[in-house]
Amino acid sequence: MAERLETICIVCPNGCRLTAVRKGNVIEVSGNKCPRGITYAEAEMTAPKRSFTGTVASVFKEMPVVPVRTAGEVDKAKILEIAARTREILLTRAYAAGEVAEENVCGTGVALIVTTDMRKVTGRTEEL
Amino acid sequence: MRYAAIVIGGGPAGMAAACAVKESEKVLIIEREARLGGILKQCVHDGFGVIRFGEKLSGPEYADRFIEEVYARKNIDVKVLTFVTSIEKENGYYRVSTTSGAGIETHEGENLILANGCRERTARQVNIHGTRPAGLMTAGTAQNLVNLLGVNPAKRCVILGSGDIGLIMARRLTLEGSQVLGVYEAKSSPSGLQRNLQQCLYDFGIPLHLKKTVTLVHGRDRVEGVTVADVDDGMLPIAGTEEYIPCDALIVSVGLIPENELAEKLGVAMDAKTKGPIVDQYMMTTLDGVYSVGNALHVHDLVDYVSEVSETAGKDVGRRKERATIEVLSRGLGYIVPQRIDVKNLEEKTTYYFRTARETGKAKLTVTVNGVEIYSKKYSALRPPEAERVSIKHLLKAGDELKFVLEEDDGGKA
Amino acid sequence: MADIGKIKKKLRKAGYAGIEVSEYNGGVRLTGEAEKYEDVLECGSLAVTKNSRGVINDVKVKGSKPLKIRVSEIEDDKYDGKSPDVLVIGGGIVGAAIARELTKYALSVVLVEKEYDIATGQSARNDGMIHAGIDLKPASNKVKYNCRGNAMYPRLSKELDVPIEMCGQCVLYTARWQKILFPLIKLRGAKNGIPVEKLNAEGVKKYIRDPGIKYGGFMCPSAGILSPYLMTVALAENAAKNGAEIYTDTAVTGIVNDGEKITAVRTNRGTFYPKAVVNAAGVYSDVIAEWAGDRHFTIHPRRGVEAVLDKKARKATSTVIGKFVIKSSTGKGHTKGGGVIVTIDGNLILGPSASETEERENEATTAKEFDEVFLKQQKLAPELKRSDVITYFAGTRAATYEEEFVVEKSPVIKNFVQAAGIQSPGVTAAPAIAEDVAKWAAEIVFGGGLKMNENFDPIRKGIPRPAEMEPEARKKLIEENPDYGVVVCRCEEVTKGEIKEALRRPAAVAAVDAVKRRVRAGMGRCQGGFCTPLVMKIISEECGIPLNEVRKKGTGSEIAPRRTKGGER
Repeated sequence: MAERLETICIVCPNGCRLTAVRKGNVIEVSGNKCPRGITYAEAEMTAPKRSFTGTVASVFKEMPVVPVRTAGEVDKAKILEIAARTREILLTRAYAAGEVAEENVCGTGVALIVTTDMRKVTGRTEEL
Repeated sequence: MRYAAIVIGGGPAGMAAACAVKESEKVLIIEREARLGGILKQCVHDGFGVIRFGEKLSGPEYADRFIEEVYARKNIDVKVLTFVTSIEKENGYYRVSTTSGAGIETHEGENLILANGCRERTARQVNIHGTRPAGLMTAGTAQNLVNLLGVNPAKRCVILGSGDIGLIMARRLTLEGSQVLGVYEAKSSPSGLQRNLQQCLYDFGIPLHLKKTVTLVHGRDRVEGVTVADVDDGMLPIAGTEEYIPCDALIVSVGLIPENELAEKLGVAMDAKTKGPIVDQYMMTTLDGVYSVGNALHVHDLVDYVSEVSETAGKDVGRRKERATIEVLSRGLGYIVPQRIDVKNLEEKTTYYFRTARETGKAKLTVTVNGVEIYSKKYSALRPPEAERVSIKHLLKAGDELKFVLEEDDGGKA
Repeated sequence: MADIGKIKKKLRKAGYAGIEVSEYNGGVRLTGEAEKYEDVLECGSLAVTKNSRGVINDVKVKGSKPLKIRVSEIEDDKYDGKSPDVLVIGGGIVGAAIARELTKYALSVVLVEKEYDIATGQSARNDGMIHAGIDLKPASNKVKYNCRGNAMYPRLSKELDVPIEMCGQCVLYTARWQKILFPLIKLRGAKNGIPVEKLNAEGVKKYIRDPGIKYGGFMCPSAGILSPYLMTVALAENAAKNGAEIYTDTAVTGIVNDGEKITAVRTNRGTFYPKAVVNAAGVYSDVIAEWAGDRHFTIHPRRGVEAVLDKKARKATSTVIGKFVIKSSTGKGHTKGGGVIVTIDGNLILGPSASETEERENEATTAKEFDEVFLKQQKLAPELKRSDVITYFAGTRAATYEEEFVVEKSPVIKNFVQAAGIQSPGVTAAPAIAEDVAKWAAEIVFGGGLKMNENFDPIRKGIPRPAEMEPEARKKLIEENPDYGVVVCRCEEVTKGEIKEALRRPAAVAAVDAVKRRVRAGMGRCQGGFCTPLVMKIISEECGIPLNEVRKKGTGSEIAPRRTKGGER
């Protein structure tokens, strides 16, 4: 486990440059403008988390790929595995935004959700 | 029927502006693509809405919130796959001509809200030479192909430009199984948001090469490689530093240019710095009844602020009134919006968006009216790629001199 | 006959004692090795002499690699055994014009083009000027065909529905004293029927808002502009409509001759057995001549770089602006120095540059060339800015050492006609060259009396252009076909209907750049940033090609070759 970490906070657009130092059982964080920076840096030191965003395939010609994301954060180490998994998923009906494309994706305990309302797009004849 | 406002562009700016118009007023949104949402449709990544909704949304989710509202509103008509061919100023209103599969139509509006968005600067506009093969494209085009059409332009690619879209595409292509060899940036510091450096590059071990640019593209049918070179302080390539990198795609993310062909044709005065129209605090241009919002006004870093400025314009529709404006003067700023203030119609607070002219350490923004300081704010550091927003309470009258000065804290000018 | 001894002496004097000079095929042949390419060029120039068919310059640079012609990857026998009356080699504007002229006769015609589309070489990579010809050498093929071609364009424009604009060319003096030359210029023009009008410094301003040189000049009102690639496409379409077959991706790889005539032409797609062969092979026309058995000239490729400016810059001038170049006005020079050229589509072009190159097909630009072109031509209209530049391109002109067109019925190979060494003003000259060449080819096939094609239809309807229509006509068109209402390319206001139609035409090619040359989708200020994915989709749907197989240009240029997700859908 790292003793010292310099990183950029990704929680909000401010992008604070954080420094986290382990002192015994305590992690001291500096450079943060808000408390969320502390939580983020602590997680980066122990078990870094990320959201996954990407696409999965659908059967609809109007929408060959559909945007998805994890409903919450997952272990950073799982991101590439989830990416690979999204290449295999095929949606065969029109999902609403927020509907689950796959529960517990790659054993993360977090669902992969569709992030657009496919019903607004599929079946429409108007397209460019 | 005459609309109170015709909104040109159904992206985040146009939708927010339309939704902010009083429900008693009729609004028409004209969108050239098949769906509302603009570029957000292809921004499948998250990070949208943190400021506005306190949530990390993906682009489509952010767009959907507005799309739903647009369609729920009885006072908003929407025309998609409809393209504006010309706008004429008539006595007291504007006549907008469009083409669509339904034919040629004209629409009348008392006000116009221009929400055309922006376009990407191309490789050729940043002096990249060599050939023009398949595999050479802007990051936005690559994003469209990957995220909307599900096809991938690159196996091994080089990305030029560290703007946010370039960084986002570096991650996106990596997740789709492409190898991103590196991001090259001619400037001495990255152009994108800091958090994107972390989550898009560093997370995946993608190197960022500063003060280096692509000079040549090789390959006739398909990109076979690119030549990169170090650049001097004037961003010109340094002879002898060239390096050939074999790759099959060059994705360029070298800046956005507000699209203002319609505004220019109408005779709206433009700001050479923002490349968008000059506006007052209600986003009204120099032409009465014509507003400019979103990335057509100036390129925003965050869609949350696009929505905010657009709502300001939408709310102003129908409040036709006498105006008297003064110029906003500045020093040390890359640009500031609004560029002028309607002093006859001041609200309690006025919001300004600005960029620093150059990277600073600790800096202080001072606002003066007729030489008297009325506001100041300290910053620990400022970078041109990151726009700042301040809301200021001030009393102004015609003839006042309003000035924004940004200085580094050591007393030197920023 | 050329005096070989004299040329040898000249070469020796210039330090090229090791170069062999011999008589070959009525021309002067040079062989041997040189230190650098500039030496090869100088030798070639020194060997130019009046009493010769031309210079066959086989001097090689030491250690240089043999010439490699870029050929399509396709290898099949799709056209094997075809025996057209006339086979035209080369699908540039010259070849396309010849193919069309040939269909006026009762002949079967095939045109082969090695690239994926017609009009990809010089014919696409020039500034689209219909030259007046004032600066051409008197009594040359160049001036003869230029003036004849110039006069043919108004009719051709009507027949093929390709717009031209006779906007004139304003030639600016570079020094005050040059105005005394005007009577000479006028006289020279009169010899070839080219009108010229005197312009004083004020007169120039009628055409150019803020000219960079203020000594006045003269106007050549017979100069004009057109889209050279659209004209090439239109010629090919009309040729195809009248029975010619256009085969792209078909490269000649060898020619069989029996010493008197050509018996077979080999390509990557099979062997042809034509009755007559026309050489319109541009930068490779000397190679084709060699294979055919009648080479008496050499192509030394000359590069030109040009910059395209945004339509917003067009307000700087209403005419083509050139600079008075003494050397070319005396007929001694071979470049006209380029200029600021207005385009038929409303842009401006700056250029071209002129530099010798060994590479016949190098279309890459360099920053150095671009800078030179821009800085040089900007002087003519200083208000033009670098930020007006939306793109730039390079092309290669097919120059011979004689700097002259080779337009002839071969005196050596009975069934071979040449339209070779065609460089500027090739676009202007093409229709006239085509008339002569087609007639000669027809004479070869028919022997005696020429048989005409009674069904020849000179009319080609252009693809409708809604953006330029009156509202009523536009409305009607959209009513008939709603696709003409849907704008795909926002910068150039190109509709879905136009793109679909471009893909349905004869000689259509399912590639994004082929669509671009036909209807301008992607030619505007965003350079296809927004419309490329849309055009790809339309090509995919219209032509039944999977999206990931849609190409930008030829084979191997798939824009997004992989689907991101597996599985068939």
